[in-house]
Amino acid sequence: MMNADWMGGPDQLNEADAHRRIAAKRFQASKVTLVELWTYYYGIGGDVDELALDAYLNEALHLPAAQVGLVTLAMNEFIGGDGA
Amino acid sequence: MTDNEGSLPTGFRSGWDADLSLQELVLESSDIRAFMTELAVLVSSRLSVPGNTIHSGVTVIRQKKPEAVAASDAAASALDELQNGFGEGPCLTALREERTLLVPDLAAETRWQDYVRTALHQGVSSILAVPLDLGGDGEAVLNLYSGRTNGFSVEDIATVETFAGHAANSLRLVLRIARLRETRNDLSAAMQSRTVIDMAVGAVMAQNRCTRDTAFGILTRASNTRNIKLRQVAAAVIASISGEQTIPAHFDE
Repeated sequence: MMNADWMGGPDQLNEADAHRRIAAKRFQASKVTLVELWTYYYGIGGDVDELALDAYLNEALHLPAAQVGLVTLAMNEFIGGDGA
Repeated sequence: MTDNEGSLPTGFRSGWDADLSLQELVLESSDIRAFMTELAVLVSSRLSVPGNTIHSGVTVIRQKKPEAVAASDAAASALDELQNGFGEGPCLTALREERTLLVPDLAAETRWQDYVRTALHQGVSSILAVPLDLGGDGEAVLNLYSGRTNGFSVEDIATVETFAGHAANSLRLVLRIARLRETRNDLSAAMQSRTVIDMAVGAVMAQNRCTRDTAFGILTRASNTRNIKLRQVAAAVIASISGEQTIPAHFDE
């Protein structure tokens, strides 16, 4: 699961890891609960379920690039602060 | 047997009755704050006797900070806020240690000196704090203030503890219902939003003959560069095609 085939080469994987770590830290630093973030993410068109989002935010699962984009957007719009 | 007991309304000692009226509170309170206020008023009125008025307040821990959320009267509310302002006191200690705490004579109390001095000045002589066991659903404490030394009898304490037990069970239910209602409302808003976005994605796919991911990318970029929420970008896309300003979701209740 850590290295799904759509992730591309090692460089892209490192980049995805770094991006995921930032997302995880940002979520932990916020007061937003998982279900609140997931609901917002679902509301802007997100596809993965709450469990997968939980795994992503615990750095245990990679998501397809389009979903990563929507998770980031959900955080920008819902948690606020300066957007990525 | 104490002097207090004879003055208490009949039925107060009966757990069944207390439980029944708490169930009614759950049904009648439109929100948690109202529930807690009614709880404080109920405890205060049942415990007060001529010459010994009991002021009652409820403090909950919210985002790790104590907050006075409800009280039987302004005096109790002020006393709760005073304690929370100092960040220490019998009620906060009771909350932390998860057990009943009685201060029979505030003038003889050596802990929480700053708070005690101010509370004495406000006319408080004895304090009873009983935490509400809410399991994992939250933390709350019932604070009772009396203007008399030894204002709470052993029977009073047992009564309040029984009452707090019933109240905690009801409160758990209230909290759960409130949380479920909130989640339901959030989900219904998410479905509305998703409908608008899905339609816009479909429109972009048709116009550009592209994949769903690409269409999402186009909308997201528009959202980022213009610093407008994705949902508003989607609504603008739909409006530009159809002239429709509001898009009804298909899952309206």
